Amino acid sequence: MFRKSERLWGKAPLMSDYDAVIIGGGLHGLATAYYLARNHGMKNIAVIEKRHIGFGGAGRNTAIVRANQRTKENLSLYKEGLELWPKLTAELDYNLMFYNCGNLNLAHSEAALSAMRMQVASARFFGIESHIADPKECKELVPALNISEDITYPIFGGMYHPPGGIVRHDAVVWGLAKGAAKLGVHIHQGTEVLGINVEKGKITSVETDQGTISTPRVLNAAGGYSASLSYKMLGIHLPVSVLTIQAMVTQPLKPLLDHVVSSGAYHCYANQTLKGEIATGAHMDPWPNYTTQTTAHYIKHQAEALSEFLPCLRGVRFMRIWGGLADMTPDMAPIMDGNDPIEGYYTDCGWGYFGFKSAAVTGKYMAQFMADGECPDMLRPFTLRRFEQHRLMGEMAGTVVYSPWN
Amino acid sequence: MALTITCPICGRRNGYEFRFGGEDKGARPDEEGLSPEDWCDYTHNNTCIAGIQKEWWYHRDGCGSWFTIHRNTITNLEAEATA
Amino acid sequence: MNRLNRLPTLRVNPSEKLTFNYIGSSCQGVKGDTVATALYANDVRIFGRSLKYHRPRGLYSMDGECSNCCVEIDGIPNVRAETTLLRNGMNIRPQNVRKSPDTDIMGFMDKMDWAMPAGFYYRCMHKPAKLWPFFLKQIRKAAGLGRISPDFHMKGRYDEIYPNADVCVIGGGAAGMTAALTAAGQGLRVILLESRPWLGGFFDYRTAEYTPSQEGISRTLCERARELSEQLENAPNVRTFVHTAMIGAYSNNLITAFQTGNKSDAFDERYMEIRAKSVVVATGCIERPLLFDNNDRPGVMQVGCAHRLAQTYGLLPGENAVFSVGHDLGLEAVLDLYDMGVSVACVADVREDGQDPHLLEKLTERKIPFMRGWTAHTAHGSKTLEKVTLSTLSGAQHREFDCDTLVASAGLTPVTGPLTLAQAKLAYDNHTGFFLPEKLPEKMYAAGRMLGLQSPLSIETSGKLAGLSAAADCGTSLEHEIKQTREELRNLAGPVRGSKFVTAPVRGQKSFICFDEDTTVKNIDQAIQAGFDAPELIKRFTAAGTGPGQGGIPGHNLPLLVSQWHTDSGLAVQPTTVRPPLVPTYLATYAGAKHDMCKRTPAYESQKKAGGVMQRAGVWKRARRFSDDIRCQEEVENVRSNVGILDASTLGKFRIFGPDALRALERVYVGDMSKVSEAKIRYSAMCNEDGCLLDDGVVVRRGENDYYFTTSTGRAGQTVEWIRYHARYENWDFSIVNLTDAFGVINLAGPNARKVLEKLTDADVSNAAFPFAGYREFAIRDTIPVRVMRLGFVGELSFELHVPSSFMQTLWELIEDAGKPLGIRNFGLEAQNLLRMEKGHVIIGSESEQRTTLHDLGLGFLWYRDKPQAKTVGAVALRQTEHQEGRLKLIGFRMEDASSRSPKDGSVIVDSTIRGYVCSARHSFALNEPIGMALAEPQLADTDTRLEIFEDSGDDRLYAKVVPMPFYDPEGEKLRI
Repeated sequence: MFRKSERLWGKAPLMSDYDAVIIGGGLHGLATAYYLARNHGMKNIAVIEKRHIGFGGAGRNTAIVRANQRTKENLSLYKEGLELWPKLTAELDYNLMFYNCGNLNLAHSEAALSAMRMQVASARFFGIESHIADPKECKELVPALNISEDITYPIFGGMYHPPGGIVRHDAVVWGLAKGAAKLGVHIHQGTEVLGINVEKGKITSVETDQGTISTPRVLNAAGGYSASLSYKMLGIHLPVSVLTIQAMVTQPLKPLLDHVVSSGAYHCYANQTLKGEIATGAHMDPWPNYTTQTTAHYIKHQAEALSEFLPCLRGVRFMRIWGGLADMTPDMAPIMDGNDPIEGYYTDCGWGYFGFKSAAVTGKYMAQFMADGECPDMLRPFTLRRFEQHRLMGEMAGTVVYSPWN
Repeated sequence: MALTITCPICGRRNGYEFRFGGEDKGARPDEEGLSPEDWCDYTHNNTCIAGIQKEWWYHRDGCGSWFTIHRNTITNLEAEATA
Repeated sequence: MNRLNRLPTLRVNPSEKLTFNYIGSSCQGVKGDTVATALYANDVRIFGRSLKYHRPRGLYSMDGECSNCCVEIDGIPNVRAETTLLRNGMNIRPQNVRKSPDTDIMGFMDKMDWAMPAGFYYRCMHKPAKLWPFFLKQIRKAAGLGRISPDFHMKGRYDEIYPNADVCVIGGGAAGMTAALTAAGQGLRVILLESRPWLGGFFDYRTAEYTPSQEGISRTLCERARELSEQLENAPNVRTFVHTAMIGAYSNNLITAFQTGNKSDAFDERYMEIRAKSVVVATGCIERPLLFDNNDRPGVMQVGCAHRLAQTYGLLPGENAVFSVGHDLGLEAVLDLYDMGVSVACVADVREDGQDPHLLEKLTERKIPFMRGWTAHTAHGSKTLEKVTLSTLSGAQHREFDCDTLVASAGLTPVTGPLTLAQAKLAYDNHTGFFLPEKLPEKMYAAGRMLGLQSPLSIETSGKLAGLSAAADCGTSLEHEIKQTREELRNLAGPVRGSKFVTAPVRGQKSFICFDEDTTVKNIDQAIQAGFDAPELIKRFTAAGTGPGQGGIPGHNLPLLVSQWHTDSGLAVQPTTVRPPLVPTYLATYAGAKHDMCKRTPAYESQKKAGGVMQRAGVWKRARRFSDDIRCQEEVENVRSNVGILDASTLGKFRIFGPDALRALERVYVGDMSKVSEAKIRYSAMCNEDGCLLDDGVVVRRGENDYYFTTSTGRAGQTVEWIRYHARYENWDFSIVNLTDAFGVINLAGPNARKVLEKLTDADVSNAAFPFAGYREFAIRDTIPVRVMRLGFVGELSFELHVPSSFMQTLWELIEDAGKPLGIRNFGLEAQNLLRMEKGHVIIGSESEQRTTLHDLGLGFLWYRDKPQAKTVGAVALRQTEHQEGRLKLIGFRMEDASSRSPKDGSVIVDSTIRGYVCSARHSFALNEPIGMALAEPQLADTDTRLEIFEDSGDDRLYAKVVPMPFYDPEGEKLRI
C-alpha cells in the first residue's frame, strides 16, 4: 500500500508555444487547467505561478464550503460546486478531506432572521437543504453557544445548512496539480508573467521572466493581483479593491465544535479543523493593500467577539494568525468574462472571500468558456459589463461593508 | 499603531481613526456626454497599484476633514509622492 | 526529591511549600516553581503523550517550545507547564492519554509509523469512499491535544494597557538591560519586556566568571545580572515588565505583549499594546535540537533545561548523565552538574574543534571522557531513557552508555520571531549558523547573543550600541557616542563560530524534527520525494512546526535539513514563516476588559418604565414594543383611532449653513433643493452613484443659507463625511454640524394628536395655521423650544417635535400627562413598522437592497432631472436606468384569500424559478387582512397579477395578488386633518 512516494506533479521545461496560458497557480487556475485537459482534450496548457502553487489565497483561506447563497444566479453555481468535492476526491484519487459538518449562521435580530428566511426559502426551492433553527436548536447543534440575553448581540436564531462543511485547502491545490499534471498540464512555479501581447484585438503571446510563450488564450486567474495585472499589462481597469483578509487558529483541541458557526453581527466565523484547531476569521481592514500583514486590532476584536458567543473559548489560546488577499468587487460577486474586449483574453477574479467554495466548479465552466469561446449560461450573470449597466448582483442584501461608504 | 495616517490638521494618528475614501481620480466629471463606460471608470473602477498611490482619507474620529496622502500599498506605510 | 538550597542562582524558596493536585494525588512544590519543575520534583518524567504516535514525552526545554509538557490546569487545556508558575491548589492533569501518561493504552500507535508516511491521509483514506465518514470520525478523535468543556467558564481578571514609550526593549538579558539603561540614560522613556519572571537571561543561572573589568572586581555572571537589574530598578524612567511575553510586532513599531500577574497584581493577565518610537530586540537564543533516533524520549533534555533545572530550581535532572552538545554552554553545564553530584559518563561534541580550552581543561581535571566529532545516535529505553548510543558523525564507530539523562543540543539558534514579525529580512550566516538580520525595519535594532555574540562584554556593548542608536531615533544627537561604541565593539570578541548542521547517521524514522506533530526526518524525505520544493510547502505537507510550540523545535532545523537534502534546487536557505502571536495567548487575555457600548435616547428610562422591550438597533437601544403581543395590535389601533407617542430621537439631525450650503445639498439630494422653504418641509432622498436609495429625510430652511435636515437612523453617523466627500474637490464654503445627539424627537401621532399638543402650547397648531408638511418653531409651556414638523410616516395626523436633549424627558412627561385623559400610549418600532407598511412607505434595507434604484421603488418622482450643473450623486445612473428592463420592482400585495395568514418575511415568489421575494408582510388591523410588500421581477408588477409564494419551511404555497399602494388611506386624507 505504501510504496515510495511519487512526485505529485512533474517539472517540465517552459515551451515557446501553448494552447492556453493560465496566469496564477491558485485553485481557480489549476482547476481551469485540469478541466481544459480533462473535458476539452486540450493538451498544451501552461500554468504560470510566480511563487509556488497555493501560495496565495488558496493556501490562506479557511476552506469553508456551502451552497446556501442568496440569489438564484449563485445558488445553482455553488450547489454544483458543493457536490463536486466528493466527486473530485475520487476522480483525482486524492483525499480532499471534505468534512461535511454543516454550517450554522447566527441571526442577532428580527431583521437578520427575515433575511435568512429569504436565503433558506431560495435554497430550498432549488433543493438545497437548509432550515431556520430557533435558539434552542442552535444550542443543541453547538453546545458551546451562549444563547443568553446578556451579550451585545443576543442570538435570535440561525440558519442551518447541513450539506456544507470544510475542505482541506492544501489538498485541493495538490490534488488538482496532480490531476492536471497527469493529463499533461505544465506547471511552472517560480515563473513571473511580465507582459501580455495583443495584436489586432487578439491575444498573441505572454512574456515571462523565463521566456516568451505564443498562445491564443490567456486566463487571468492571479487572485489578488488580477486587477493590478489587468491594468498594468492590458490597460483594463477593473472594479476591484484589494484588501488583506485575516484568519487565525487556536491551539488544537479535542472535538468541541461539530459545525461551522458564523455570525454577521459579530463579524466572525469559527469552525474546528480536522487537526482540532478552532479556525476563525472574517475581517478586512477597509483600505486596499497587498501586505497580507495581520493587525493587533483584529486578533483582539476576534477574541472579544468569540468571548461573547462562544465563551468557553476564553480558556483557549490563539496560536497563529495570518493574512491573504481578497479582491473585492462592489457587489461582492466575481467577474468571469472573456473575449471582451480582447479576443482570447479571459478573466476569473473578484472573488473576494468566496474564491474557495467555487473554485472547482468555476474551473469547469471557465474551461468550457475557453475551449468553446462562448460564455456558458452559468457564467453569464458574472460579466464585467454589469457594473457599467448598473446591474449589480444581489448577493449582499445590504450595502457592502468594505467600500468607503458602509 | 500599525497603520498611521498623517492628518493635515491633527497630525500623525492611528489609522483606525480614519476612513479610506478611494483612489484619487480627480474631480467629478460633467454629466453631459458621460458614457456608461466613463461613468463606471470614475465610480467603480480602480487602478489597484501595488506600490505608491494617491488616495483620499477622512478623519472620522477626529477633525472630520477629507484630505489626500500617498501610501505604499505594499507596506501600508505613508510615502512621499512619486514623480 | 531534595532541593539544592544554597545556590546563589536559586529562584525558588524551598522553605515555602505549595500544594497541588496531580491526577488525583496531592503533591508539593515550592514557591517559585513552575508547574514543570514542581512535577519534575515529584518524579514525574512522562508528562503526556504525543499527538500521532502516543509516544511518551517529558521535560525537554524550559521555555515551552513544544507541546511535550502541555497539561490541563483547572479545566484549561494546553497550558505550558514550563512557563506557568505553580500556585496553591492547582488541579493538574496530563493530556492526550488514556489512563495515565505512564500506561497509555494508545501506546501501540508508536508501532504504526510505517502506515503513516507524510500526507498518508490524502493518499488513502478515501478508498473506498463509503469508509471516509468512518475515517473522519477517527481523525477527529485522534486530533487535538487538550480538551475543554463547552460549559467552561474562564475565571480571573483580564486587563489591558496601551503605554507609550520612546524606546521599547524586548528581552531582559544582559544586552537588553544594557540597552534599556543606555536609552534611559539619555532621559528617554523606556519600556523593557522580559518573558521570564525575572531579568537576567543567560547570565541569570550561570556562575561562570564575568570578566570585564576596569574595576578588576571578580564577579559571576549571575551577580552581574543582578547588578544590572538593580540599576534598572533605580532608573526613574524605565518601566520594566517581567513575566511578559512579547507576542506581536507591527509596522510603525507597535508592539503587543501580555503580562502574567502575580498575587499582588489586580489582574491575572493583561494585554499590552506599546507604541514606541524605536525598538531594540535582544531576545537571545534558544537551543537547536539535535536530531537522532528517539531524541524525544523522556530523559533527553536540552542543555539549558538541565542546567537551569539545577541552578535555578535546585533540582538535579538525574543521576547518570551523558552529554551530546555543540556549544560551549553545554560544556559549562557538564562542569556545573558534575560538581553538583551528577555522574557524567561521557561528553560528545559535534564540533571537531573550537571549544574553549579552559573548559576542556576542567573536563580533563574531572576525568570526564570527551569525544570530538561525536553525536548522540540513538536513545534507548521503552518509556524513559535507559541507555544511549553515541557515534561518530559518519556512523563508523559506536559506543553505548547506560544513563537516565541525556543532555542533548546541537547548539544555539537566535530568537528572531520579533524581527520577522516586524518585516525584517533574515539571511543564513555560515559562520554562526544563525539566521541573522540582513535588513532591519526603520527604528529597530538587534543586540546581544542573537547576533552570535558569546563574550559577556561583547553582549553588553552591543546592547549599549543598540540603546544609543534607538535613543538617536528619538531625536537625541549621539553620533559621536555611537561611533565610539561601534569602535569599542569592534575591538571585542565577535560572533562565535556555530556548530555545523548535522543529523545522526540513522534512517531517521524515529528522529523527530517536530515533537508537536510527530514529524520525523524520514517524513521530510518523503515530502521532498513527493515534489514539495519549498520549506513552506514541506511544512504544510508534514505539519512540522504548525503545533502549539509555534515552531520552536523545528524552526531552525527544517530549512537546513531541506537545503541539505535538496541541493539541486539552488534555493537560498530560507527560514519558514513566523506568525503572531509568538506565544499562544488566551482569548480572554486578548479580549481584555471589553465593554458593551450602546447609545440610549434621552427618553430611554420612560420607555423602559412603560414596559418597553428594548433591543439593539445599530448603535442604539430602542423600544421594539410595549406588550407581549408581538403583533402590537393595541399599540397600532391606538395610533389609528386615538393618539400615540414614539421616541424617534435616533433620527439623524443636521444643520448645514454657509454661502455654499445649498450647493452641497443639491449635490447629495436628488430633489430640487432650491425650492426648500422656511415654513414647509421638503422630503427628498440621497442615492449612491448607482442611483440606489441610500437615505431619505426632510429638509427645511431656517434662515439665509441655513438649513436643518434629518436622515434615517442608520445613516446619521455617515452623513457629514458623505456630504464633505462629495464636496472634496470643490472649494465650497459651508459648515455642517451633527445634531443627532443634541436633539430628542417625539412623534405624536393619531387623530387626537392635536388635542394633546394644544394643551401644551399657546401656538396656533390648527390645520389652517399649521397644515400638513408645515414646519414651525414655538415653545412648549412658554419654556421648551421645539421645532415641529407635520409628517405622515405612520399615516395619521402627526407632529414630530424636535427638542433639545436636556428638555426631552420633561417634554415626554408633559405629553404623557396631557394625553392621559385621552388614553395616550407608547408605540414602538414594530407598531410603526405595520403603520408605515399600510401606507406603502419603504424602510431602507427592508424594502430595498444594495441594488435597488429610486425607480425600482417607484420613487423616481423625487429625482429632479434638470440640475446637471449640480452633478448630483446618482443622477447619471438614474438617467441611464430610467427605462431599463429586467429590474426588480417594489410591489404591494394582498392575499387571494383574505382570511389566510400573511406569508413570512423573506418568503420567495416563484414560478418555475425564483422571481422575487417578500420584504415584509403583516396582518393589517385597519384593513382586517394581510398585506405585504415585495421586490419582484417586472412582469409580475401589474395590478392583479397572481403571486405564488414559497416559504422557508417549504410547505404549502400561498397565493397573493398585486394591488396598488398605499393600502391605507390612499388619498392621504387622514394626514391633512
